[in-house]
Amino acid sequence: MIVARDVKNLDGMLLMPSGCELSERQIDVLQAWGVTELEIEASEEQAKSHDPLSKLPPEVAAKITADLRARYWMPDEFGPVPAEIFKLMLLRQARRALNQPKP
Amino acid sequence: MNPPSIKAMVSAVPRSLGSYGPVLREIEQALQSPQCNLNTIGDAIQKDPDLTARLLRLANSPFFGFANRLSTVAEAVSLLGIQQIQDMIVASSVLEQFKGVPDTLVNKDSFWRHSLAVGLTARLLAMEKRLPKPDKFFVAGLLHDVGRLVLLSQAAEWAHAVFELYQREKMLLRDAEKKVLGYDHQQIAAELLQSWSYPSALVQAVAFHHAPNQSVAKMDAAVVHIADHLVNAMGLGSSGEQFIAPLDEKAWALLGLSPDILAQLVEAVDEQILAVEEAFLKKPAGAAP
Repeated sequence: MIVARDVKNLDGMLLMPSGCELSERQIDVLQAWGVTELEIEASEEQAKSHDPLSKLPPEVAAKITADLRARYWMPDEFGPVPAEIFKLMLLRQARRALNQPKP
Repeated sequence: MNPPSIKAMVSAVPRSLGSYGPVLREIEQALQSPQCNLNTIGDAIQKDPDLTARLLRLANSPFFGFANRLSTVAEAVSLLGIQQIQDMIVASSVLEQFKGVPDTLVNKDSFWRHSLAVGLTARLLAMEKRLPKPDKFFVAGLLHDVGRLVLLSQAAEWAHAVFELYQREKMLLRDAEKKVLGYDHQQIAAELLQSWSYPSALVQAVAFHHAPNQSVAKMDAAVVHIADHLVNAMGLGSSGEQFIAPLDEKAWALLGLSPDILAQLVEAVDEQILAVEEAFLKKPAGAAP
C-alpha cells in the first residue's frame, strides 16, 4: 500500500509524506501518534472504477472537458497547480453529471 | 468626458451600517463598560431577532462546526469570540449597503455568492496554513470585489462602457476596467476600505488580490488570490467576470501548501457554502419581514 496524501498529526507535523510504502509496523506507529485514518493510492483498476469521467458516455465527458476549458483565460499555459485544479474541477463536474437525474 | 476619480466615487458612498448599526453601537458601548460580560453582549445582539437567527444558524453550521450544540447567543459569543462576531456583523452590513445596485450588468445574488465563497475559501486556506485570525480572511474575501459595486452604484454609465468593451473585445474584465477608466476595481475597493478605516492588511489583501506579489501584505493577498481563482473555477457565482483568470503560482508557493490539500478544500467549500449563504443572504425562518 502506498500513502496517497501526507499524513500529519493534530499539530500539523508531517508523520509520513505521500508516496511512502506503508508497512504493518508503520501502521502501528501512526496509530500510536493518534492517526485514525489515512488515504492510500488505489490500484489502476480501482482508480478506473472510481473515476467519474470514465463512467460517463465519451461525448458527455468530452463536452464537460471542452466547456471547462473554454471558461479558462489562457488554458494552454497551465502550471502544475492550476493543472491540478483543472483536474479536480473536471472530476467535480463529472460527479455532478453522474448524480443528475435522467430526463 | 473623463471617468470619475476614484476618490470622487468613493466619497459618494454613504458610510452606513444599515439595520445592524444600532446593535454594533450597543456592542461597542458594552465593550467599553467595566461591567461588560458575555450576557450583556448577548442581550445587545438578541434585540435584533433577524441577526440572532442568522448568528445561531451560522454558529451551528459546518462553517464553525459546533454541530447544533449552540442554542443561545451568549453561548455563541463565548465560543466564537466577540471580535469574530463583530466582523461578521460588519460584513453583513456591507452586503446590505449595496442592495440597491441594479442587476442589469451583474446579478447581485451571483455577486454575493461569489464573494461569500471567496471569503469561505480564504478562511479555510488560512486555517490550513495556520495563519492567525482566519476570520479576517473571510472578511477580506467577502469584500475583495466590492470595488465593482462602487463602480456600478456610483458611475453606472462608466460601468456600462467597461462591460461593453469586455464583451466586444473578449478580454479580462479587470483589463477592460483599466482601459476604460485608467484604474480597476482593486484600486476602488482599496480607497473605499481605507476611507472606512479597515486594517491595512485587509486593504492590502483586497487591493492586490490579482497581483499578490505587489502587496506589502503578500500572504494576505495570496490567500485571497488563490481563493478567488478556486471559486471562479468552481463556478460559484460571479462578480461579472466570466473567465477563470490565471493563478499566480508564486502566490501558491508563498503559502507553502501541498497541492494535495486542494481536493479536501474544494469538498469543504461545497459542504459549507449553502450554510454560509443561508446565514448571510436568506431571510431566517420566523424573522420579521
